[in-house]
Amino acid sequence: MVTNLKSTVDVELNNFSFGSTLKRSLSSASIESQSSFEEPSTAKKFKKEKKLDLSYVGSPREVRRLRTDLLEGRNTILNLENRIQHMHNVRKEMEIMYENESKLLKKQHENDKKSIEELESQLQSLRRREMDLKDQLAQINSKCSMLKVRKDEEIEELEKSLSEMKEESRLYDGEENAEIITLNRKLAELQIMLDAAEEDAEAQKKLVHEFEKRLAEKNVMERDLEKKDQALQVAVLRIRDLEYAKENYLEFQDQAKTQARKLANYIDLEKEVEKLKEENTRLKDEVKNKLILEEEVHDLKSRQVNYKEQEKKLAHLQAQQVQTELHLDEWRSVARGICETTGSDSSLPHLLRSAVERLQQQEISLTSAKVELDSQLTAAQYEVKVARAELEKTQKLLSEMKKTGEQKQNLFHRMQKKLLLVSRERDSYRLQLDSYEKDLTVTLNPNNININQLQTQRERIEALEKIVDNYRELNSKLESDLQSSNPALYSDTSACKVEQVTKLQDEVDQLKLENDMLRQRRDQLEIQLEDFLVGNDTLQGGQVYHLTKNPLSECLAQREQMVEKLEQEAEKLRRKIKSLEEGLESSKLSESSLCPQEVGAAAGPINDMNIILPEPVLHNMCRMDRTIILLK
Amino acid sequence: MAGVAQQNKSSITLKGSAEIVSDYLNFGINSILFQRGLYPPETFQSVENYGLTILMSTDNKIKEFLASSLSQLKDWLIQRCVTKVALIITNVKTLEVLERWDFHVEYEGNPDESGGQVSEKPLKTIKNEIRDVLKQIASSVAYLPLLDCLCSFDIQIYTKSNVILPQQWSEAEAAHVKNAQSVKMRSFSTNIHKMETARDGKAEELPSSFSSRDHD
Repeated sequence: MVTNLKSTVDVELNNFSFGSTLKRSLSSASIESQSSFEEPSTAKKFKKEKKLDLSYVGSPREVRRLRTDLLEGRNTILNLENRIQHMHNVRKEMEIMYENESKLLKKQHENDKKSIEELESQLQSLRRREMDLKDQLAQINSKCSMLKVRKDEEIEELEKSLSEMKEESRLYDGEENAEIITLNRKLAELQIMLDAAEEDAEAQKKLVHEFEKRLAEKNVMERDLEKKDQALQVAVLRIRDLEYAKENYLEFQDQAKTQARKLANYIDLEKEVEKLKEENTRLKDEVKNKLILEEEVHDLKSRQVNYKEQEKKLAHLQAQQVQTELHLDEWRSVARGICETTGSDSSLPHLLRSAVERLQQQEISLTSAKVELDSQLTAAQYEVKVARAELEKTQKLLSEMKKTGEQKQNLFHRMQKKLLLVSRERDSYRLQLDSYEKDLTVTLNPNNININQLQTQRERIEALEKIVDNYRELNSKLESDLQSSNPALYSDTSACKVEQVTKLQDEVDQLKLENDMLRQRRDQLEIQLEDFLVGNDTLQGGQVYHLTKNPLSECLAQREQMVEKLEQEAEKLRRKIKSLEEGLESSKLSESSLCPQEVGAAAGPINDMNIILPEPVLHNMCRMDRTIILLK
Repeated sequence: MAGVAQQNKSSITLKGSAEIVSDYLNFGINSILFQRGLYPPETFQSVENYGLTILMSTDNKIKEFLASSLSQLKDWLIQRCVTKVALIITNVKTLEVLERWDFHVEYEGNPDESGGQVSEKPLKTIKNEIRDVLKQIASSVAYLPLLDCLCSFDIQIYTKSNVILPQQWSEAEAAHVKNAQSVKMRSFSTNIHKMETARDGKAEELPSSFSSRDHD
C-alpha cells in the first residue's frame, strides 16, 4: 500500500516539474527527511503499535476506534511535521541571518583594509609632496636673494637720477627769477599808462555832460518851432475860407442883376399869355365838335347792322307762317273728319273739345271697372289659400289617427302576449304545485324515500331550472316590450349614451394611436441610443480588427491549459483517495501509515505550487481540498 | 523619433505624422499598462521622452505585439482608413471588459495636395501637446479604481470598410464597457492627424466627485 503511495507521489512530482520549484521542493523534502530521522520517537512508536495490531483481529467497533486513532495519529504526525518544518525554517532564517551578518562583517573588514591601504598610499603621496615643497622653498629663497641684490642696484641708480633732477630744478629756479623782474617793470609802466587813460576818460565824461545839456536846449527849441508851424497852418486855412466867401458874394451880385432885367420884361409876357389862352380855348371847342360828329356816324353804322338782321328774321318768319298755315289746314281737315261736320271753321274747335271730353269720360268708366275686377281676383286667391291650409290640417289629423290605431293594435298584441305569458306562468305554477304535491306524497310514503328521493329531487331541480329559464325569458321579453312600446323614451337617452360612447370610443382610439406612436418613437430612440453608445459611434459601417496573437488570447489559452491540468490533477487525486480508501478497507489498516519522508516529499511541491499558482488556481485548489475532506 | 521624415526646416510629411502618432501610442499604451498594473513593475524600464520619464515594458512578447500592431497601424494611417484605436483591458476569468482606452483619429488637411500632404506645425509644439496628454494619462490613475483581478489587454483598430486584411490579423467584436462612463483627455494634432484620447470605465467605479466633474 505504501509503495503504491510512493509511486503516485513520484508521478505527482513529475507532473509538477517546474524547474526551480521542483528543486526547491526536493531540497525542502530532503531537509524534512533529515528532520524526521532526527526525531523518530513518535513515528516509530506508532509503527510498532501497528505491527502489534497485525496479530490482533478485533471487532468492527475496535477497527473503527483504531481507524480514528490512526487518523488522529496521522494528524499528530502532520502537526509535528509542520512544527519541524517551521523549526527548520526558523533555523534556516537564523542561518541566513548569520550568514548575512558574517558577510556584512567580512565586507566591512575588506572595506577597512581597503581604507587603510588607501590612507597609507595617501600618506606616502603627502610625504612626496612635502619633499617637493621643500625643494621648491629652497629654490624660491635663492631666487629671492638674487632679486634683493638686483633691487638694491636699481635703488641706487634711481637715487642718482633723483639728485640730478634736483640740480636741474635749482638751475631752472635762477632763470625764472630774472624773468620775474622784467615782468614787474612792464607792470609798473602799464600802471602809469592806465592812470593817464583814466584822466582822459574823466575829461571825456565832462564833455559828454555839456553836450547832453546842449541837446536838451535844442530839443526845447524844436518843440517851440513845431507849435509855431501849427499856428501858421491854422491861419492859412482861415485865409482860404475867407477867399471862398468873397467869390460867392460876387456871383450872387451877378444873379441879382439878371433878375432885375427879367422883372422889367414881365408885362409884355403877361399879354402874350392871354393871347395864347384864347387860342387854346378856340382849339378845344373845335376838338369837341369833331367828337360829336364821330359819335353820330358810329350810331348810324350800328343801326344799319340791326336793320339787316331784322330783314333776315322777317324772311324766316314769313316762311314759318306759310308752313303753319299749311299745318292749320291739315288740323282743320282732321277735326272735320272727327266731328263729321262740314260746318264753318269757327264751330270746329268747340266740337272738337266736346268730342275729347266724351272720350275722357269713357276712359274713366273703363278704369273703374278694371279696379273692381282686380279686387275680386285677390279675394278669390285668399280663399284658395285658406282652403289649402284646412286640407293640410285634416291630413295631419288623419295620419295621427292612423298612428294611434297602430299603437292600439300593438297594445292589443302585447296584451295578448302578456296573456300568453300569464297563462304560461299559471302553468308553471301549476307544475310547481304538482311537484310539491308529489313531494308531499313522497314524504308521506317513507318506504320509497331512499329509492325515489334522489330521482325526485333531480326532477325537481330540473323543473326549477326550467322555471328559472322561463322567468329569464319572460324578463327579457318584458324588457324588449318595454323598449318597443316606449321607443321614444329609450331612444333619447340611448342616443345621448350612444353619442357619449362614440365620443369615448373615439378618444380611446386616439389615445391608443398616440400610445402606439409613442411606443414606436421610444423604440426608434432606443435604437438611436444604442447606435450612439460609446464605441458604436466610431463603428460607422467600418470594421474592427486585431492581431490574432494578442496578449489577451494568449492569457486565455494559458488559463485554459492551467485549468485542464488542474482538473486532471484533481481527478488523479480523487482516484488516489478512492484507491487509498479501498486499500484501507482491504488491508484493514495494514501498512496504511505514510512514511513521514514521503509525506514531506509530497507536501513540498504542493506548497511550492501554492506559492506559484495565481489566485484562481488557488481557489480551485481550495475547492479540491474541500472535496477531499468531503470524500473522507 | 529619428525616423521622422522632415522635408524642410519644420514641415512634417504624412509618413512623419503617422510615425509621431504611432510613437505616441507606443508610449501611451506602455504607460497605461504600467499605471494600471497589468504586468509586474519589475518588467518595466524608464525611458526619457517628451521631457517625461515613461515606463516601457521590457517583456519581449509585449514589445513584439506592440511593434507589429503599430507598424500595421502606421500603414493604415497613411491610407487614412483608421477611425479609432482602442486598448481593451479585460478580466481573464469572467471575460468582462473592464476598461477601454479610445484613441480617436481624425484626418486634417487636404490629402490630394501636390507633392504629398505636409504640415507646417513645429515639432516642438506637437511634442509639448503629446507630453500634456501623457501627463494626463499618468495622473488619471489617481482616481481610477484598482484592477484587483487577473487582467489582460488587446488592441483593436477600428477601420473603414475598404481595408485589405493582412495575415495574422482577424476581425474582432467591438468591445464595450457595460454601463460605461467616458472621461475625455486632452488631444493633440500634427495638422495631418488629430488624436483624441478617452477612457471608458464602469460608471459606478468612479467616486461621485469625479463623475460630477465629468458631467460638467
